[in-house]
Amino acid sequence: MFLQQFVNGLVVGSIYALTAAGASMVYGILRILDIANAGAYAIGAYTGWLIYGLTGSILISFIGAMVITGIFGFIIQKSLYLPQMKQSAIVPLITSIGLFIFIEDSLRLIFGAHIKDFAVEVPIGNIVLVNANISGIWILILLVTAFLFLILWWIIVKTKIGLAWRATAQDMEIAQAMGVNTKQLVALNFFLGYGFAAIAGIMVGIYYNSIFPNMGDVPAYKMLAIIVLGGLGNPFGTVIAALFIGLIETFVGGYIGFFLPRDAIAFLTLILIILLKPQGLFAKNN
Amino acid sequence: MYEVVVAINIGIFILLSLSLNIVTGYAGQPNIGHAAFFGIGAYTSAILTSKIGFNFLISLFLSGIIAGIVGMILGMISIRVREDFLAITTIGINFVVVAIFRYSPFFGGSFGMAVPTPTVFGIEFNNYTYLSLIYLFIVLIILFLRKIENSWFGMALGGIRNNEEAAESIGINVKKFKIVAFTISTFIAGITGCIYAHYMSFISSDDFGFLTSITILSMTVIGGLGTIQGPIIGAFILGIIPEIFRFVADYRMLLYGGLLVLMMRFQPHGLFGKESFLLNKLVNLFGRGNRW
Amino acid sequence: MVSKRSKILIALVTISLLLISLVGCTKKDENTQKTPIKIGFFAPITGPAAADGQSVLNAAKLAVENINKQGGINGREIELVYYDDQLDSKQAVSIAQKLTTKDGVVAVISGSYSGPTRAVAPIFEKAKIPMISAYGVHPDITKGGDYVFRQSFIGPIQGKAGAYLAVNMLKAKRIAILHMDNDFGTSLADAFKQKAEELGATITSVNPFAMGEKEFTPLLTKIKQENPDAIYLVAYAGEGAQIVRQAKSLNIKAQLIGTEGVDSTTQFLQVAGKDAEGLIITTNLDRDSDRQVVKDFLSQYKEKFGFAPDMVAASTYDAFMVLAHVMKKYGTNPDQIKDGMYQVKDFDGVTGIIKGYNKLGEVTKAVQVQIVKNGEFHHYGVIDDPSIITPPEQ
Repeated sequence: MFLQQFVNGLVVGSIYALTAAGASMVYGILRILDIANAGAYAIGAYTGWLIYGLTGSILISFIGAMVITGIFGFIIQKSLYLPQMKQSAIVPLITSIGLFIFIEDSLRLIFGAHIKDFAVEVPIGNIVLVNANISGIWILILLVTAFLFLILWWIIVKTKIGLAWRATAQDMEIAQAMGVNTKQLVALNFFLGYGFAAIAGIMVGIYYNSIFPNMGDVPAYKMLAIIVLGGLGNPFGTVIAALFIGLIETFVGGYIGFFLPRDAIAFLTLILIILLKPQGLFAKNN
Repeated sequence: MYEVVVAINIGIFILLSLSLNIVTGYAGQPNIGHAAFFGIGAYTSAILTSKIGFNFLISLFLSGIIAGIVGMILGMISIRVREDFLAITTIGINFVVVAIFRYSPFFGGSFGMAVPTPTVFGIEFNNYTYLSLIYLFIVLIILFLRKIENSWFGMALGGIRNNEEAAESIGINVKKFKIVAFTISTFIAGITGCIYAHYMSFISSDDFGFLTSITILSMTVIGGLGTIQGPIIGAFILGIIPEIFRFVADYRMLLYGGLLVLMMRFQPHGLFGKESFLLNKLVNLFGRGNRW
Repeated sequence: MVSKRSKILIALVTISLLLISLVGCTKKDENTQKTPIKIGFFAPITGPAAADGQSVLNAAKLAVENINKQGGINGREIELVYYDDQLDSKQAVSIAQKLTTKDGVVAVISGSYSGPTRAVAPIFEKAKIPMISAYGVHPDITKGGDYVFRQSFIGPIQGKAGAYLAVNMLKAKRIAILHMDNDFGTSLADAFKQKAEELGATITSVNPFAMGEKEFTPLLTKIKQENPDAIYLVAYAGEGAQIVRQAKSLNIKAQLIGTEGVDSTTQFLQVAGKDAEGLIITTNLDRDSDRQVVKDFLSQYKEKFGFAPDMVAASTYDAFMVLAHVMKKYGTNPDQIKDGMYQVKDFDGVTGIIKGYNKLGEVTKAVQVQIVKNGEFHHYGVIDDPSIITPPEQ
């Protein structure tokens, strides 16, 4: 039973990590909590579903959805968040909330409120490890998440753009003074971040065979908890925090049962850790 | 009467927004879980009146006290924790509080609680009573806030909002003021919760969730953070939209979301905050009035 | 002494209040011979329960259309006055006030969940306007008074029926319970546990989960360890579909027993696919029924809206049909309707033969048992033991 729970916890955590990656990157650069990222998650899922319906290829769906949602992210930051840079943090927060509500209801009006199934033949089969049943989609999720974060790591740590990103995340004004084109960086940041959310949305849609307008509800607030725990703005801290929360939720549910709802347990964990370590699991580091 | 009920709903939102404003507007501490205190007040009164048999007035006072105590604890937490962390922590508190209400048989669990209609001095409460009580409190709170705004306390809060370190350096006990702000804010929310519980005569944990907290925050911000008229206007506008736009019911959420975005993009200080376009136009139209 | 700004504010507020009054106002019709009869209706058409809201609104519109096509109420048409409560009790309250004081409705049907329905029952009682709750399960709804009725079984009845099904019909001895943490989930689970233990079975564990949950592996893995013969799942379609899928992928062999919560073709069967095969549920819609009323409803709904109706739609449809029947027979003013409801006997409804409504306003009808075979719900049995299906009197 332990192995089964452990793997499930990792899978759940991986989904959280992918979904939170975007919000984490946005926070890292702009210091704003972007709830609309969860809207991108839903948009990505529907877009991927549409593209899959047209092409039958999951790869094209991933790429197509990532690009389209990424462009959406670009538009959002250009028209909404950049102009709000001088305002207090609450302003973009409320903006993102309004945007999120708008996105969800648009999806409902366009596609209908009912759950749509997203049936995809996952190319990986189910395996049984010791006595744990590990389904193909679980393996796919773990692989895709690892792959994407590897790429992200490579970009941030090994490339020039990554260096510029880290500089901007540390201090935007100084980075600008040093010649970094921060506007472009922010744009790229959003493009990538929203793209990641889109991929998370598609994978969740496939895993649960369900796409529905409100699917972004839980990610909207849970991702905030995860990026805070991960040290706010540190994408890799976010991965650890995400896996951590995924594992805690799963082990509590599996061994004790949900004595409080899953989300409350996640937040309880957050509150306890914040009280013990007010800077989060990892302080911001580059 | 329909209009009375709408006025009551709006009145409740006004009380919640005004109270949130103390912490988030004046003191600049983000609280996105205010509905939790609204709920604590409501459930406290429900338990006191239906299970223990206290009378309404005592209950009213105690609801505020208990919510205020929990708020004070939150205030103490806020001292240790950075602003962004605080925002998320308040969300967490909202979730945990609601979860406790939902899962405890003592609080009725998923069935919620029935709340008796109070009888005070022989008069049984009806909608008009609630309406008067709510607007009485609104007036009292407005008077209270006006006093604060011009007092040392108000200046201190403003200082904390603008720059904590600077405030500390000129002798303001930042810690103490933050805690006081949280306590007062949640005390008011608790009292509002009590009134709400008796008015609805039935409460369940769903009434006090994150969505409600966001609504309250939106009202405060749209109207204008840090002012008295701001939260009132915000509560009024966002409270009346569901009613006025019933005929386009299908698009209400779209309008609501769009309104939030547009407002924040073009009038980030709120409709009636400082530097507001609308306020300036109106003031010019009606001649220079005295400060509110 | 009032500042200019306050004056402006007061003016704005007054104008808006006037606005709502005007918008809210409908002409007060005298009930003359040919004016339409207004029936009020509210449901969570937007918001977190929009799928169900849409489902029941469709059913309401279909019902009204059918009633009018068949000649209305002794020649007079009925008109549907409906509102969206967004699953928010506060909004339901203002809707209820509007319906009772401005809209001139003679009766109301609630297409909403227990929370909002429970919050408004006292308002309709006070206004002496009969309200039928289509599918809300909270026991206190009907305690609101004489004017409140319930179209669907109260939670405990279905829970008991589930226990009877599990222990007596399916011979399960060890049963694990997996239930939603809302009133629907809790009331059915509690009643199931009590009755099952009474009938001699052992409940291995009781596992609550939050509405909207999708990931059941932790709970199912835990349950698998207990090796039960059956798992009783109380969930709505979204959660239920995930439970059966994940149970299958964890290779759980126990018999899965469900409830009317998952009685939906589009939201449950479609998502669960072949993993739903073999699931047996208690519900109040018999899709194999050879009664004309059922066959017509199923085909008309599908034709008009493009997808098969679910249980909440069927319950809503029946609520309207019962109401129409009562109005035709006993009269169209609220008191006549109220008295008429208590006289209903053996009404041929989509959700079964409605034996009647007891003194509390609770419905008496048999519990249908359906099984998923070849991707569809089919008749499996009926439970009409009076000791199970008789609702409480207070």
